[in-house]
Amino acid sequence: MSLDYDRKDCFVVNGKLALPYSYFAGRVGSKFITTIRDQKKIMGVKCDKCNKVFIPPRQTCERCLEDIRNNWVELGNIGEVVNFTVVRYNDGHLPRKAPYILALIKLDGADTPFAHILDGLKPEQVEIGMKVEAVFADETTNTILDIDHFAPSKTKKVQVSERAPAEKAPAAAKIEPQPGLDERRKAMSRKVIITAALAGAATMKNQNPAVPYSPQEFAEEAYKCYKAGAAMVHVHAREDGGMATHDHARIKATYDAIRGKCPELIVNMSSAVGMGKTAEQRISQIIHVKPEMASLNTNTMNFSLLDRKTGKIFIDFVFENTFTMLQNFGKAMEENGVKPEIEVYDMGGLDNTMLIMKQGFFSEPMNFNFVWGVAGGQAFRPDAFLCLKNAIPAGANFTTCGVGNDQFPAVTMSCLVGGHMRVGLEDNIRIPNGEMAKGSYEQVEWAVRIAECQGREPATPDEAREIMGLKKR
Amino acid sequence: MAHRKKNKNVGIIGIGQTKYSSHREDVNQPEMIHEAVKAALEDAGITMNDIDCVVHGNMELFEMVHQPDLWHVIGTGAYGKNCIRITTGGTVGATIACAADNFVASGMYDIVMAIGFQKLQEGHTTGGITNMADPLWFRNLQTGALTGSKAYDVIREFGEERGKRASLMYRIIMDKHACLNSLAHRAFGLEFEQIDELIRTSPKLVGDLKLIDMCSQSDGACAVIFAEEKKAKKISKKPVWIRDHITIHREETFNIFGYDEKFPVQTTMRVAAENLYKRNGIGKPLEYFDVFEMYDPASWWALDWLRDFFLLKGDEHLRLVENKDIMIGGKMPINPSGGVIASNPISATALIRVAEAALQIRGDAGKHQIPSPVRHALASGFGGTMWTVLMMLEKELNW
Repeated sequence: MSLDYDRKDCFVVNGKLALPYSYFAGRVGSKFITTIRDQKKIMGVKCDKCNKVFIPPRQTCERCLEDIRNNWVELGNIGEVVNFTVVRYNDGHLPRKAPYILALIKLDGADTPFAHILDGLKPEQVEIGMKVEAVFADETTNTILDIDHFAPSKTKKVQVSERAPAEKAPAAAKIEPQPGLDERRKAMSRKVIITAALAGAATMKNQNPAVPYSPQEFAEEAYKCYKAGAAMVHVHAREDGGMATHDHARIKATYDAIRGKCPELIVNMSSAVGMGKTAEQRISQIIHVKPEMASLNTNTMNFSLLDRKTGKIFIDFVFENTFTMLQNFGKAMEENGVKPEIEVYDMGGLDNTMLIMKQGFFSEPMNFNFVWGVAGGQAFRPDAFLCLKNAIPAGANFTTCGVGNDQFPAVTMSCLVGGHMRVGLEDNIRIPNGEMAKGSYEQVEWAVRIAECQGREPATPDEAREIMGLKKR
Repeated sequence: MAHRKKNKNVGIIGIGQTKYSSHREDVNQPEMIHEAVKAALEDAGITMNDIDCVVHGNMELFEMVHQPDLWHVIGTGAYGKNCIRITTGGTVGATIACAADNFVASGMYDIVMAIGFQKLQEGHTTGGITNMADPLWFRNLQTGALTGSKAYDVIREFGEERGKRASLMYRIIMDKHACLNSLAHRAFGLEFEQIDELIRTSPKLVGDLKLIDMCSQSDGACAVIFAEEKKAKKISKKPVWIRDHITIHREETFNIFGYDEKFPVQTTMRVAAENLYKRNGIGKPLEYFDVFEMYDPASWWALDWLRDFFLLKGDEHLRLVENKDIMIGGKMPINPSGGVIASNPISATALIRVAEAALQIRGDAGKHQIPSPVRHALASGFGGTMWTVLMMLEKELNW
């Protein structure tokens, strides 16, 4: 449609503006670029307060306003495509001839993606979630193009989303039948495994000062629990500031500190880690540390913080555990000699496991943990407990834990019907009389009393290994 | 805001400034801004959680960054908060102070942080300024902020020797002040004995405007936190109260070249001053105010504007300068900080006037604190096209 107006004698001035400028990258930005240029390393910075790893790096965390300029983290060259577009026209200012892929790439260990060219595949082959690897430029331009481009990753690595069906896994992981095993287990049914969940991801020192943060604190706390009668500790590693971490080095340091202090104890690590962690962050640390046991979560669910008196929701969080994750985490654990502790928050989660287990990769015996009282899961009810107990596969073990007031009723019930017990500050900060627990060990002492009342004895770590089918030390 | 229609009284509770300098290669824009933000929060003793709104001010074309308020969030702390960007030329810094005051006075927000910044080394100021001239009248005319017209006016009225000496006297007083301010960009250590030599040797820029007369081109940022009365009193031991402010823009750009003796133009400085004092019942501004932080882009302009801002007659303004009454310790100290001639990160510049005036009232200006008590302070902003902003600050809430 043409515009109908009188253009006669309308004077037009044509001009051109030159716009020279300089950009000062600052020290942090400069180090980012020069490290790529000189060392072919991609560095981010990490905020200790919110635990986010930023790339490109910045001097300040814009959310916490923490000065993070010296908190450098090396990120490696591998990341994941989180989004992309295909540039389909040519223009003088573009770095490649069309068509080419411009992808948002989140490096492993980083929390923020950045844009770069994705090469080495056709536009129709690119997929969100695919693993890609940085290819550095031969000649430097002192820009981000010192990473010439990203290409589909060839490096072999734990890849949760792209695991090929494990053919050998079930056979390899299955425990060879041992003569007399069943009899031995039966004889040990008097033994009850007490686990101490030392910290979790959400219990903070301001709630109970005995919650460990540093590797040293974890080791001390684990030792006290061991002395009190625990055979196993469940661990979510923490930063010094208390935030749950997926940082491999910190988790390994925490694990090593516990093992150093009491080598006999079974260390069971969390594959949930804490809120907002990616699947990769959750499983790669397990593969890195290879503990004897690790938690395996069975359903996507609400996992919220709320005021139980008023019902007011403080934090509304969805804990994601898709079938794919359940399968891939489970396989990754079994393949790496890590025995899954299957976390069951309701009957649906158990049924999810029963479906997945048809693939045959779970080694026997399976070990379940019935979790009660999560805001998003079910509250403790004795009849529901019996339903779960009766639904698990024959020969499987079960333990239980409960949040807050559900803790001691649930473990008492478990002990009563032949299961095991998990206590600890992750689940509850008090002892049954309502007083603040001096530490997870004080709850272990209570669990020992419960067992004694029922004529059962706490299992030693080696007895627990035998019961749960862990490799002998 | 209509005068005396304030819903709430507003006090300044936090002030942060960077060092002003010609280059800051060590930081990028958000990082430099953050230095001022951090200092202001520390000064107020609060955290970013306490801030309800951020007013961001800069001349975005000057650094060739589009949407700088978004780009700078990493440093400003405005993540997830209300944030408004204001661009009004040289007055930006004063306008964001007015806006912050209005936001708080209206009751819309309790605590607002105004941030002015410029990193002139990164951009091309003249490229930006040129854009404001009408292309029909050849843009080359407006090739920057330089104009010799004020020198011409002063010399015509008072003669070449007296005019030039008064301008240089003003300039050296500013340099002496700047030497006391550790944040100032240019502090040469000039002496009054150098007046004749500088008149002779300083390179001419336009007409009788010489390099030594002119303001600097600086990098730097300033942040000032404004709070409503109750919170201001609770948070700060010595809040500085905003009594009133006025913004006048009534001239066209090209009027500055169209001066005619027979048809004198009434400047925005005089209009602003007359109206502000009248509505606040101030008959003798020279006696009322204890200090004046003036936006002085060049010593010639400053000299001439003193007459307008204090509603003086004849050569009273020249005598203020010649008698050194404008020095720290004098009758009416002007720019104890060294003023714009010493430091000029454009969009921070006019906010620095407000900040420095407030520091004088608090008694926290350090080495450049004037020795007598400061109860009433005045701050001005100036910018294209011939805007004037005047802000009155008070020690007591008693007007």
